[in-house]
Amino acid sequence: MGMQVTRRGFLTGAGGAVVLTLGYLGWRARHEGGVAAPPGSASLGHGTPMPQVAYEGYEDIWRAKWRWDSVAKGTHFVNCWYQRGCNWNVYVKDGIVWREEQSGTYEPIDPKIPDYNPRGCQKGACYSQRMYDGARLRHPLKRIGERGAGKWQRVSWDTALTDIADKFIDAMVSSDGPSSIVWDQGTAQTNGGAGFAMMRASLVLDTPVLDVNTEIGDHRPGFCVTTGKMVHCSSSDDLFYSDLILIWGGNPIYTQIPQAHFITEARYNGARVITISPDYSASSIHADQWVPVKVATDAALGLGMAQVMIAEGLYRKRYVQEQTDLPLLTRVDNGRFLRGSDLAPEGRDDQFYVFDLAGRKSVEVSKKTLELGALDPALDGEFGIDARQGKLKVRPVFAQLREHLRQYEPEKASALCGVDPETIRQLARDLAKARAATCISQSNFSKYYHGVEMERAQLLCFALAGQMGRKGAGYMSFPYLSIDGVDGIANLGGRGNPKLQLAALGLKMAPRFIADRLRGQTKEMTIYDMAREEFRHGAFPPSLLWLYQQGGFKERYGASEKWDPAMKRPLASYMDEAIEKGWQLRPSTPPRIFMESGGNVLRRFRSYDVMIEKLLPRLDLMVTIDWRMSNTALYSDYVLPVAAWYEKDDITWATPLSPFSQVVTRAAKPVAEAKSDWEINCLLLKTIQRRAAERGIRTFRDRYGAERGFDVYDQFTFDGRYTEDNVDKLLDLILSVSTNVGDVDWQKLKQKGFQRFTALGDNSFMNIGNATDVKANETITAGLWHTEKKMPWPTLTRRIQFCIDHPFYEELGERLPVHKDQPNIAGNYPLYMTGGHTRWSIHASWRDQKYMLQLNRGEPVIFMSIQDAQARGIRDGDRVRVFNDINSTEMQARVAAAHRPGQATCYHAWEPFMFRNRKSYSTLTPNPINPVQLAGGYYHLQPMPALFSPGSTDRATRIEIERVA
Amino acid sequence: MRPKRQLAMVFDLNKCLGCHTCAIACKTQWTREEGMEGMWWTVVNTLPGQGTPKGWEGMGGGFAPDGRQRPSRIPGREEFGDAWQFNQKEVLFEGTASHLEPRNFKGEKPSWGPNWDEDEGAGEYPNSHFFYFPRLCNHCTHPACLEACPRGAIYKREQDGIVLIDDQQCKGYRFCMEACPYKRIYYNHVQLVSQKCIFCFPRIDQGVAPACARQCPGRMRFVGYLDDERGPIHKLVHQWKVALPLHAEFGTGPNVFYVPPLSPPQVSATGKPDPSKPRIPLEYLEGLFGPRVREVLGVLEAERAKKARGEASELMDTLIVYRWPDDIFPDFRKDPATL
Repeated sequence: MGMQVTRRGFLTGAGGAVVLTLGYLGWRARHEGGVAAPPGSASLGHGTPMPQVAYEGYEDIWRAKWRWDSVAKGTHFVNCWYQRGCNWNVYVKDGIVWREEQSGTYEPIDPKIPDYNPRGCQKGACYSQRMYDGARLRHPLKRIGERGAGKWQRVSWDTALTDIADKFIDAMVSSDGPSSIVWDQGTAQTNGGAGFAMMRASLVLDTPVLDVNTEIGDHRPGFCVTTGKMVHCSSSDDLFYSDLILIWGGNPIYTQIPQAHFITEARYNGARVITISPDYSASSIHADQWVPVKVATDAALGLGMAQVMIAEGLYRKRYVQEQTDLPLLTRVDNGRFLRGSDLAPEGRDDQFYVFDLAGRKSVEVSKKTLELGALDPALDGEFGIDARQGKLKVRPVFAQLREHLRQYEPEKASALCGVDPETIRQLARDLAKARAATCISQSNFSKYYHGVEMERAQLLCFALAGQMGRKGAGYMSFPYLSIDGVDGIANLGGRGNPKLQLAALGLKMAPRFIADRLRGQTKEMTIYDMAREEFRHGAFPPSLLWLYQQGGFKERYGASEKWDPAMKRPLASYMDEAIEKGWQLRPSTPPRIFMESGGNVLRRFRSYDVMIEKLLPRLDLMVTIDWRMSNTALYSDYVLPVAAWYEKDDITWATPLSPFSQVVTRAAKPVAEAKSDWEINCLLLKTIQRRAAERGIRTFRDRYGAERGFDVYDQFTFDGRYTEDNVDKLLDLILSVSTNVGDVDWQKLKQKGFQRFTALGDNSFMNIGNATDVKANETITAGLWHTEKKMPWPTLTRRIQFCIDHPFYEELGERLPVHKDQPNIAGNYPLYMTGGHTRWSIHASWRDQKYMLQLNRGEPVIFMSIQDAQARGIRDGDRVRVFNDINSTEMQARVAAAHRPGQATCYHAWEPFMFRNRKSYSTLTPNPINPVQLAGGYYHLQPMPALFSPGSTDRATRIEIERVA
Repeated sequence: MRPKRQLAMVFDLNKCLGCHTCAIACKTQWTREEGMEGMWWTVVNTLPGQGTPKGWEGMGGGFAPDGRQRPSRIPGREEFGDAWQFNQKEVLFEGTASHLEPRNFKGEKPSWGPNWDEDEGAGEYPNSHFFYFPRLCNHCTHPACLEACPRGAIYKREQDGIVLIDDQQCKGYRFCMEACPYKRIYYNHVQLVSQKCIFCFPRIDQGVAPACARQCPGRMRFVGYLDDERGPIHKLVHQWKVALPLHAEFGTGPNVFYVPPLSPPQVSATGKPDPSKPRIPLEYLEGLFGPRVREVLGVLEAERAKKARGEASELMDTLIVYRWPDDIFPDFRKDPATL
């Protein structure tokens, strides 16, 4: 039918990249040599001789407790993102997993720096207990009580799948079509069977998968606006080359446990560690300086530092001239870039200029390279230029910025952020003078209403200081690096041999890459272009926009003007404009079926209670596929038990922080009736195909009106090549077309448990943002393609861009980075509720695990300062009511000297069923959309998967806390 | 009888993440059996804090300078934090409870746990302070527990000085729990015996590091023989003298040593640092580790400064751990999966 080829253009584009690299496949093995043997294996048996042990009766009893039958490799394909990817040995006794222990077999990368062993955390260390505990799903269940009541009937797989398949068919042939079936991808998104299955099922059925990244709030919007991409991160061992480490916008001692040793070890190596945060956090205790900043004022701090660097001439001039938009000329009359179209009728809108001090004239900047050659672009000054309308005054962005930043002179910035002016100066000087500085920042500022500005301010500091794209120097944005074979295959249309199809698609797409390169586009830019084009087809509706348009959340998420007094028109007006101009998508099909696959929307969606109230009653069917009873499962019609992470074979995704592709393997049989994600998807498609045939229904119409067959299982399995019975074969296929893990097949990977990446690979629109080569014996430093190869950045100006002359940015006063006061979100209450990922769980996956609870308070808690507690008559351990204009909940108070007055912190992901009235802290967060994040139609400011659609804004919601008598 | 050699651990508090992977590693390795649910043979306390069991530092035990036993008491089950029960099935599968709640062994809402005061600390904002402090049996050179046991059930292994309770000999009198000044012995209320850290001797016997050490992602638990001059323990305890015993005045000769915590200096109300004022009060640290704390912190800073200047520092290189496991437990490098 050919519809898929157009449908997933970017992935066929990835196929195009594949063909460009097919030539590599044959010889890439030769390039993978020289990997050192693991130290442990090489040295086994060569330590101190074993002592002669006198075995005694009692001691033997203990020795006998430490026995197992078999060991297999494993990890946890939960979404622990920044810290993910640890290689574990899973010990099995009597057919069940007994315990796990890190394998500790990562090869040293560079002899001068510490290695990655043993990687792991306390959550991973007790998954063996978690997988068998009282939350585990063992049989397919059908809801027989009210939603959420916990009343279930055990049903057979056949009964469950037949009923689900029938409802799928009904929806697909209904007037709403397959778009009314929506999947949430959750943590089951892998680079192997589970992730592949969901992608492919949604392709074959033409059912959309929610793009959850912006709704989660992980999308690093300030980094995206500034650099044109989201993914950009070095390996964590690269920190060992830093002499200054800023922990600013993250809490890695909680959230990067497996690699946090690189921070403490870099410190012993002489690096200075500075933590910037409102509370004296766990990541502050190992710092050399802790900078207490007022909640939500980090932009003011950063802009104060930037002001100092400019005023004191501390910036790294050549970096600024070469890598940033700061030398680009802007018009004095309107502040916008001077464009080619200003100078000549046929001039281009995306041609920009600098004033060359060497040649004393304005010149076009190259779009093909950042190399300046003999150019010496002016950063200051004002120049006259002959434009179409006559003489125009122009000046570099830098000059504009210099003036703009006067409002953030340290004394003025201090009044906003509460940090001493001298300390602001000192931070600026330290950053500018450091040999190599890294900013450890996580998806924290992403979740603030004005998070765009916080990240822009941080980046301005790092760009002025030239602290990017060198060993040990960089700003850690979103980390992603995975094997790159899965997307292309999952999205191939036909039933034929996938390798042949990929090759054919590659041939088809190759001319575009060549043509784009000739006109000066980087491959990164072409891949993003394809991703943007693809995104417009709506296969991945951003979940926040979907909730706004179809989920009943318009009043909750769209009330921004109620909280943000600076808005001159309502959010709805911005939304309408963004949709009308084609900047943002408008999901338009009312949902009938919601498929939760490994995620937990009724914990994750801010104000999830709105979904229970408004969306669930309208659904024909809600299904959760999970290994545990999540809150979302609790409200579903069917709950399908999936194999636990030690009960199936799969390949996880990874990040450059820990640049190893990791596996889970079937160490033990799935409990009871649980099945792997891959198998469940195969069986669902098989049942749909069977039921359609039995009901005499042959076709359905896809979203383009094209007729498609119900031979969905045959399509899904490439005509029976890859089925529920042979996931090994599928994993081999994926590895064979991946271009960045060297010469490894599934059996080898399964034995070893991990494989270090050898490259970013050519087939992933995510990996490529790291813009660097991966070398066998070196740490990975993001951005070297920009600094060393002078590759342009994928922005409108091809540079790190601080001036965004987009109409929304201008209307909202954000053309240049600014600080904006945090609005009184949820009412005028005295406390800010901040958040952050917890030490004790990865999202909710361990929140109700008994050991994790035992090492806490056993129930949800909120941290508050001694001062705020005393003022309210609250003592540590008291039950308190937390409330605002939106809602009210109850928790236990934790009163901590380490907490900042005015700040109360509820760490992430308590399950709603852990709260007395099932209302978690999330129900207090109205999550207003910031209109600036609706911007589009401005080269790099256009939505694509995972970025440039509006994000969540739950941090620093206003609350009050009172003691419950 | 003096053991031929003494095994010891050094905990580098400047690398501790407070993550409790050690505690979980130990839990899944040894204390899952009936009666052991509430046991955390190793646990991480936030200091200043009350610790595990609650207020243990004030409970007495050990020996006075004249060698006599200091008076003490047996910590109770609730002081240790117990093991709570949760109504998971009732909420999730039976529909008989509305929300998850913990219950202690009395069926009540718990008011203390093994990590109850995590991340709270002391001081006054912005000069709040805390640090993480992993604890376990100190496998003392002069174990008060051993002396106190009327059954002779406690012994110190000749080959490595590990202190063990033979729970076939133990009758559960709990004199050991009373005598131990560190309060690291638990009572098994089902098996009616006293139990504690065994230094993972079955692993040690096979050349494998203890679970808590081998699984520590912070790479802060060094393990080895005190007399091994090439090993990190000897270097840190005897050569560089930067690893200090906890409450040496308890008189038991603990064999777990701590590299004391550095901390960011105090700040003004607006966050301006004053490098002359350490955040964690020196007296507090001296109360834990004795009078040499100031000197040790000075050595750490001086050696760090060398590294910052690009000079060599054996001490920093030792603490860094370039190669795991070779540099952190050189005699116990074996991967258990290969046994």
